[in-house]
Amino acid sequence: MQEDKQLISRFNRGDEDALRHIYEKYRDDLFKVAGALLNDRIAVEDVVHDVFVSFASSAGKFRLRGSLKGYFSICAANRARDFNRTMQRQDAVVHNESESVFLSTDEPAHSAIGNELSEQLNYAMARIPSEQREVIILHIQSNLGFKEIAKSTGVSVNTVQGRYRYGLDKLRSLIAGELKE
Amino acid sequence: MKRSDINIKRLIEDQYLRNLPVPPRSEKDAKTLVDALRAMKETIQKQSAVHQPNVRRVIMKSKIWKLAAAAIVIIAVLAGLPFFGGKGSGVALADVLERIEQVQAFMYRMKMTMTGVMQPGMPAGKNEMEGTITISNDYGMKMETTMADANSGQAMSQQMYFLPDQKVMISLMPEQKKYMRMEFDDDMLARMKKQNNDPREMIKQIMNCEYFELGRSVIDGVKAEGFQTKDSAFLGGAGIFEDVNLILCVDVEKWLPLRAEMYFKMSEQMEMSGVVYDYQWDVQVDASEFEPVIPEDFTAFPAGGMKMPSMTEEAAIDGLKFFAEMSGQYPKKLNLMSLMQEFAAIEKNPTDSALKVKEEMDRIPEEERMKKTMEMMRPVQSLGMFYMTLVQDRKEPAYYGEFVGPNDTDMVLMRWKVSDNEYRVIFGDLTVENVSLEQLKELEAALPEE
Repeated sequence: MQEDKQLISRFNRGDEDALRHIYEKYRDDLFKVAGALLNDRIAVEDVVHDVFVSFASSAGKFRLRGSLKGYFSICAANRARDFNRTMQRQDAVVHNESESVFLSTDEPAHSAIGNELSEQLNYAMARIPSEQREVIILHIQSNLGFKEIAKSTGVSVNTVQGRYRYGLDKLRSLIAGELKE
Repeated sequence: MKRSDINIKRLIEDQYLRNLPVPPRSEKDAKTLVDALRAMKETIQKQSAVHQPNVRRVIMKSKIWKLAAAAIVIIAVLAGLPFFGGKGSGVALADVLERIEQVQAFMYRMKMTMTGVMQPGMPAGKNEMEGTITISNDYGMKMETTMADANSGQAMSQQMYFLPDQKVMISLMPEQKKYMRMEFDDDMLARMKKQNNDPREMIKQIMNCEYFELGRSVIDGVKAEGFQTKDSAFLGGAGIFEDVNLILCVDVEKWLPLRAEMYFKMSEQMEMSGVVYDYQWDVQVDASEFEPVIPEDFTAFPAGGMKMPSMTEEAAIDGLKFFAEMSGQYPKKLNLMSLMQEFAAIEKNPTDSALKVKEEMDRIPEEERMKKTMEMMRPVQSLGMFYMTLVQDRKEPAYYGEFVGPNDTDMVLMRWKVSDNEYRVIFGDLTVENVSLEQLKELEAALPEE
């Protein structure tokens, strides 16, 4: 946290090394959040690019409230949500909102996820509603509190907590095999 | 697998999140960085100009509130008397300080604009002030200002004298035929003197703030070097200001300030911007210039004078206690301006204690009511100013009034550092204790999740 404060301070003064350091530090987190919420590889890359360039545009006036990881996660989630809404409106031919990008790839990294439980979990995550998946990712992966998530999504804290609870519950059921696919 | 055997959160962490694939580094990362660096450069270049104020009007409920607002501004400004700190090459600004120290008296002019909501529930407005300030090592400081009330078209002038030997500030308001006398306690005076006169303190502030050098330019035919800071710690930034943007131009031959342009954001609803210019160095001054002459037909406002709020821990706790009595909860922020606005907003949702105070106030004459109001506000001002000193002194203060209430006996409401491994903690029930860093971590881990 202290390191991030110093990085931001340098970033706000136009320090290029600080900007590079921030990208290196949070690049993977950005890809993880975007990848978990989108089903389009190019869209994931676009989101990561746009989030980071937008952040860079705030140089000089960026104020770090909370964690930088949380900030980037929320930005990625917001853009992913916008993208998904756009795709729904466009009535894309091949689009299943419940699928994540990790199901549509043949890359070795994905197929290397070996054990049965992991595979069940991947499929289960892809099958819960996107709002629930988003809250789960932001809370567990990005360590964001429900209040922060509520603020970023424009819903009440109760709704966020409900989505989290129901999402976990559904995941549990799916893995336990209680729900039919 | 049984549903009851599934630790879903652990599974998500260990199996799902850990295995989320991340693409290897490619030319796309390079493109992202190139685009980001370009965006950053463009933004920084645009920001090299100082904000210009929006032109809006301030509407005051009555002249009394205008005077009260002037008092609050005085407190806010005096509490962090202007001096410049920055960290960059270190050498150039140290030279400036050394040069200023040799000057016995100097003067300058300023134009400031305050925009925003002065009182909750009132429309946003604008207040413009122009003034001439004279500072003497021997006699103190004199400030002559004119503030334009755009609503009525009238101008309100003010002459303010800060007299450290007498530990007093006197302000004359000719149009209202009123004067204000404010006494300082030793703590406040020591802080002001330290900040104003002690060169070691000034250089310490230089090393504590962060700034960057803008390079050379020519201002009114004079070669100048520019320095800019946006460090929120400037002037105890987080205590008074949320955002800071200050540019100081220094005469490269004389190593004396030439011009300063500034922008401060005091809260979500209030901003201040302005320019300091026309510096005159080594001016001849006379003691009589710093002796206020109060005409016989002027009345004291408030009657009996007022004391500058204390900036002590005890006074801050009194402020927290009083605020909670009036509103049922602690303030959300301790930024001075936000704090005052939150306090003013209590009127909309008062506790029984607040209603009782209001009833008592309604029974007394307006002038007397004003004095009582300002006395009432003093503990709250002390709270804000104490917090500001913690920020200025880099004591790592943290405040959790948004989540902790008067009934949260064992929860940390506020804390600050007293030594390397020791923190001072005020709990929700306003008891105070010194704890170790490890103890503090445990206490803060127990705070409500956002």
